[in-house]
Amino acid sequence: MTRFLLVMSFLLLATPVVAHELTPTYPKINPAYVDGLLVAQLSIFNARKDVDYYEIGVFDKDWKPIPFATTTKILNVPYTGKINFEVYFRKEDQRRAVYVCTLSKLRSDEDSYAIVSSKVCSRLDGEPS
Amino acid sequence: MLKKTLFAVLVLVTNTAFAEEAIIEGNVQSKCVINIDTNGVYGNPTPDKLSTDSADGGVQPSIRYDVALADYYIARIITPTSFSTSPTLSDVVNWTGTSSVGEVSDAGMSAYDVSKVVYDSTTEFDLTVAGSTWFSVTSEATYGYGKAFPGGTYRAVVIAECIAK
Repeated sequence: MTRFLLVMSFLLLATPVVAHELTPTYPKINPAYVDGLLVAQLSIFNARKDVDYYEIGVFDKDWKPIPFATTTKILNVPYTGKINFEVYFRKEDQRRAVYVCTLSKLRSDEDSYAIVSSKVCSRLDGEPS
Repeated sequence: MLKKTLFAVLVLVTNTAFAEEAIIEGNVQSKCVINIDTNGVYGNPTPDKLSTDSADGGVQPSIRYDVALADYYIARIITPTSFSTSPTLSDVVNWTGTSSVGEVSDAGMSAYDVSKVVYDSTTEFDLTVAGSTWFSVTSEATYGYGKAFPGGTYRAVVIAECIAK
């Protein structure tokens, strides 16, 4: 048993952590301080050493883009960093806006070997009943 | 005797122990984490073929999805249909790709392969069980009709998506 635990510990230690996470799954939509706008607060965690930037996108149910505003559409999230951000969109788009996503941006230079791009999407239209 | 009793009372009063409770709170909420365990490498078994299959000298990308709660997310894996980096190519590249379940943390996840939905270059898996699932991705590119790929670096991107239901 001890040997098994030791082997498992070494395996876990030897496995690099390369993860991308977006929370919450169903962010709360609140009125923004600007009239006619709504805001959702989200948080991104980056444990991918090969990725420094993530692109934010808001989409309808058919994955058509919906206009939105953030402080920056391309977020610089350092390795093992967690960043909270806000997504603003128009009240009139509330019924259309379904997904808010973060997509990892891969570098195309010779030093980058990443060939997997990750995208995590939360839902703006609430938890299904 | 009275002196001793008084001393004992004083000691007890001055050394009153104040106990505070340290509360640890936790909250399990639905979330999806995409882990890129292996990025993948194209092998070049014949001049006209690039493949991630281990039999072709390649390395399959391995992507782990961790879901905290069951039935909240769909995993969608899109295999490449073009190179993101390559030398100039004058002929058509034919692409094939598959995504399948590898390791699982729960036996119930083995059913994902049976119920997966495949369209175009996309494979969708309904993550109905909480835990970790490893998906293996194969990607193969052949050039023209038995034509040799020009020398250089080739790179293509697999997109791993986790979409809230």
